[in-house]
Amino acid sequence: MEDKYSSNVLSGSKLGMVEASDSRYLSFSITGSIAYVAHVLKLCCDFRSAVVLLFFQKPFSSGKPISKRQWIKLVKHAVFSCVISLLGFFGLTLCGPLRTLLLLEHSDVVVIALLGVLFTSSGGGPSKTRGAAFFIIAVICLLLFDNDDLMAKMAEHPEGHHDSALTHFLHTAIAFLGVADHKGGVVLLVAALLLKVAFHTASRKLSVEMGGAKRLHALDNLLGTAVLLPWVVVLSATTESKVESWSSLLLPLLMIVFCVLILDFYVEAVCSAKMEASRVARCGTAALFVSALVLANFWTHPMTDPLRPLSKSPAQSTEHVLSGGVIVSATFFILASSILASPSRRGQKGTLVGYSPEGTPLYNFMGDALQQTSQSLPRFIKDSLKQILEEYDSRQIFYFLCLNLAFTFVELFYGVWTNSLGLISDGFHMLFDCSALVLGLFAALMTRWKATRIFSYGYGRVEILSGFINGLFLMVIAFFVFVESVTRLLDPPNINTDMLTPVSVGGLLVNLVGICAFSHAHSHGGKSCSSHDHGHSHHGHSHSEHGHGHGHGSHSHGGHGSHGHSHGSGGGGMNANMRGVYLHVLADTLGSVGVIISTILIRHFGWLIADPICSLFIATLIFLSVLPLIKDACEVLLLRVPHEHEKELNTALEKIEKIEGVISYRDPHFWRHSASVMAGTIHLQVMPDVVEQRIVQQVTSVLKDAGVNNLSVQVEKEAYFQHMSGLSTGFQDVLLLTQQREAMKYLHDGTCIM
Amino acid sequence: QGTIHPFRKTHRSLFGKLTQEFTLVASDRRSWRVLLFGALNLLCTGCLLMWCSSTNSMALTAYTYLTIFDLFSLITCLISSWVAMKKPSQVYSFGFERLEVLAVFASTVLVQLGALFILKESVERFMEQPEVHTGRLLVGTFVALFFNLLTLLSVRNKPFAYVSEAASSSWLQEHVADLSRSLCGIIPGLSSVLLPRMNPFVLINLAGAMSLCITYMLIEINNYNAVDTASAAAIALMTFGTMYPMSVYSGKVLLQTTPSHVIGQLDKLLREVSTLDGVLEVRNEHFWTVGFGSLAGSAHVRIRRDANEQLVLAHVTNRLLPLVSTLTVQIFKDDWTRPLLTGALSASPASAPLPSVGPLELDPLTSTPAKPSSPPPEFSFNTPGKNAPPVLLPAPGHHAHRPYALGLGYTAAPPTWGAGTAGDGLRTGGTWQVNNRPNTPFMELIL
Repeated sequence: MEDKYSSNVLSGSKLGMVEASDSRYLSFSITGSIAYVAHVLKLCCDFRSAVVLLFFQKPFSSGKPISKRQWIKLVKHAVFSCVISLLGFFGLTLCGPLRTLLLLEHSDVVVIALLGVLFTSSGGGPSKTRGAAFFIIAVICLLLFDNDDLMAKMAEHPEGHHDSALTHFLHTAIAFLGVADHKGGVVLLVAALLLKVAFHTASRKLSVEMGGAKRLHALDNLLGTAVLLPWVVVLSATTESKVESWSSLLLPLLMIVFCVLILDFYVEAVCSAKMEASRVARCGTAALFVSALVLANFWTHPMTDPLRPLSKSPAQSTEHVLSGGVIVSATFFILASSILASPSRRGQKGTLVGYSPEGTPLYNFMGDALQQTSQSLPRFIKDSLKQILEEYDSRQIFYFLCLNLAFTFVELFYGVWTNSLGLISDGFHMLFDCSALVLGLFAALMTRWKATRIFSYGYGRVEILSGFINGLFLMVIAFFVFVESVTRLLDPPNINTDMLTPVSVGGLLVNLVGICAFSHAHSHGGKSCSSHDHGHSHHGHSHSEHGHGHGHGSHSHGGHGSHGHSHGSGGGGMNANMRGVYLHVLADTLGSVGVIISTILIRHFGWLIADPICSLFIATLIFLSVLPLIKDACEVLLLRVPHEHEKELNTALEKIEKIEGVISYRDPHFWRHSASVMAGTIHLQVMPDVVEQRIVQQVTSVLKDAGVNNLSVQVEKEAYFQHMSGLSTGFQDVLLLTQQREAMKYLHDGTCIM
Repeated sequence: QGTIHPFRKTHRSLFGKLTQEFTLVASDRRSWRVLLFGALNLLCTGCLLMWCSSTNSMALTAYTYLTIFDLFSLITCLISSWVAMKKPSQVYSFGFERLEVLAVFASTVLVQLGALFILKESVERFMEQPEVHTGRLLVGTFVALFFNLLTLLSVRNKPFAYVSEAASSSWLQEHVADLSRSLCGIIPGLSSVLLPRMNPFVLINLAGAMSLCITYMLIEINNYNAVDTASAAAIALMTFGTMYPMSVYSGKVLLQTTPSHVIGQLDKLLREVSTLDGVLEVRNEHFWTVGFGSLAGSAHVRIRRDANEQLVLAHVTNRLLPLVSTLTVQIFKDDWTRPLLTGALSASPASAPLPSVGPLELDPLTSTPAKPSSPPPEFSFNTPGKNAPPVLLPAPGHHAHRPYALGLGYTAAPPTWGAGTAGDGLRTGGTWQVNNRPNTPFMELIL
């Protein structure tokens, strides 16, 4: 054990050393950095390493012969590996060695764990999520906070035309994206990393077929050389060489080839044979990054000047220097790789179910088993669309949501096109409003789910809760509009009304169509409330008129609708969810009216104060119109006896008392569970000689007439209390039951024979 | 029936009622402290809002919303002390315990909506970052942190303490627990403070203050104004993470669901109930929580025709009552109108549920003889595996033979049956068939 550990450490440190030389090689190559050199370098390296590997590995003489199909696979493999390493080299010329190392040299374990966290739900606990977050933060640090481009890369591609087609294509792509070279390089390297991991995973099968990774590597190098050779010949024939003397390059190249490509390969092979993959990933990455940082720090130091045989001009050494962002992101990368590479403890997730007959504990791994059966995304979308379109409510919300989103994206697009910040922020504002619609849609969908063990009455109540949340949402909006308009009242800002009019008039036109559609549907059954619009066409000033104006006609209409339904929600009336959505839409709709009114006032009379006053008015109206909705939803949620059935229930209870044989009732609970379910429970005390089932039937029919459709009746006789007092051992229970009996006796003294 | 008119009327009386209830709450000495902290909180919130507009910092605004949330939680505390004084009224027959659940739900949802607003604002700010003045930023942070922690630690807030214990842990708590587990491996002494999981409110206050400090540092040193927006978004996300489990928990109480932690216990009790002598099945069982903690429920118990209703009722109630405090059990017999049965019922003494010979001979429909000798059948209420296959029987045979085989006539079921959802029906259907198995030969006999 001890022995093995020391060998681990040894190989770990060796690995670190070799990787350090790796970084050094990158530094070498960058000092003579020409995009063109990359090709040649690649070729040379490939060639030489192929020769050496050929010598060591003897791929042709050892192992089984290779079939024709395998040769084709090998060629494909080699081409892919060439493309990936060319991408890597290109990124190297853009970003410099240090950043390339940081981005590219992650082991497959780390990247696969990262992808697992990002794209599957079973990531493996909070620590993996943290690791993934660190990784992403590190990449973002490199992208945003690394001021590498400030130093030297400001000059825009002085060479104009690039030497090779590939280089040219990549440069054009980066220029098209409109980012700096350095950032383009980061993106390129991330892509190369992902490709590399995918490539490694895919080539695993091939390496088994070929009889070992080493043989594959050797053959691969050879073939890669063969693939690249014609290209390089063409390139060197067509363009004049930028390298003065090939002889001075020979020695470093030899060294690079030896250190980087051969030693690296063997050390890695040894390490992965001796240690587990996660350990290699952790130690290797940490050692590599730290040594790369140290080397990069020393590289620009004047002391190292004689060590740089390839550097020609001192100006180039300021390129790709160490910056704060790089150090931070290197730290994050080290943390992320150490977290992500640590073995996951998924096995401990099982819950203890019980014990087998032999006495061994049984665990339940429900979570993993359930995730296996998740359906594919297109199918899921298709199913939920079908469900949405099945019913009137959800269909209305869905159509309106689509319209709203379409308008939002048109607005956003136009805002980006004309570079108008006001339009863009208004677009985001509408997305914010759409969240209420999404909530309503989801609730309308959920309402139809089947009852489960947990939701034993069914999901009907969800829509009441959703109506309540939407009511709260509107209150929050009203509050923000109110606060904003108060601040504006104190200090009215100058509003640019130029863009305001077309947008708000367009909105109003859409609104009128929506209101017409709504009143039509309302006359049918009061179910639809899908008027559509986009409320807040404020250009240049943010929320005051996002607000919600109230036009006169529509105000009375909306008020009527909401009030009328507060009483009729039991039958065909609008449910709480639809009311919430409708109020939201109404508030938005009338917002555009408010904008138009205030625009007219500002333009014709120059009353800047009209805008905040209008918003103030609007905020108050929203608040007042939402209150009934919230009140109704609260009453349902608090299990109040429903308003509209109160009288009927009282008469029903009186009737129940008059039923023959009934002495009294206690604990009558009646509440509305959802729009369709009204539940109730009641306890009855009856005479000893009546048949309980008859009483149950009578009471049930009486209460059903009063609207209760989910009822439980407990019929108790004197015998019940006797049994209970016999059964219950606790003194308190006996006392309670005796008191109940006493009450019964007292109430019906004459009739009750004990 | 105009819009405003009736509403105004209720509003006025509501206002009078409110002051009345407020004086009722204020008469209690314990609520004075809550009121004092509420006043302090209002003062602090006003100051912070002013500083927010003077610094123009989004992150400080997001942090101020946590202070506003504290105000909500103080109001919830007042409501809960009011609820404790109130008795159930006629219209609110379950009492007002649910009001505190509703208050918790509303305050968590409100603060999440505020966080949503912050997120939206931050997205807008990312496009055009205004300058942030750091003058009052750090002062505001520490004032808010101090007041929040003071309020959290010195006011005993029963409903929120309950919810934060009972709700599942947020992602913030999980990460901190994961980190502190490894930290406690190094310093074992910390485990008493950190380990099971930290109080979510303390945690989010500390985390928010930390991100504000980082913001302050970065703005001061490097003038990175964008950090302010980023940290506002981070605080908003943390607020979401902290509040979401709590609103899910209280929302589930409001939706009248069976709390998942009692399901195991309930299943055990119901299985016991279904093996009681005379009980054929339990169905339409609804169990839910009234307030935080107290369970209410109703169930329909179908019994054999010759069993004693009152005795079974007493036994069932006795089993369930320790867990379910507000319980209603409806005893249900098939085919009770048949004269034979009533004869048998009146003949059988109240104390003897054991089958007498009389009903056995008179009524071959009942499975009575098998029952006491054979081990009682294990009814499964909700194991889908058991219930899935046997849905076939009830519908066709049952309607076809209704005039004859009255023993199978479940049409006399109470109205709840009609209101039950399909899932419910399926479940019950499954159990039916198990129960009816002894009866099927008789049906064929009639045929």
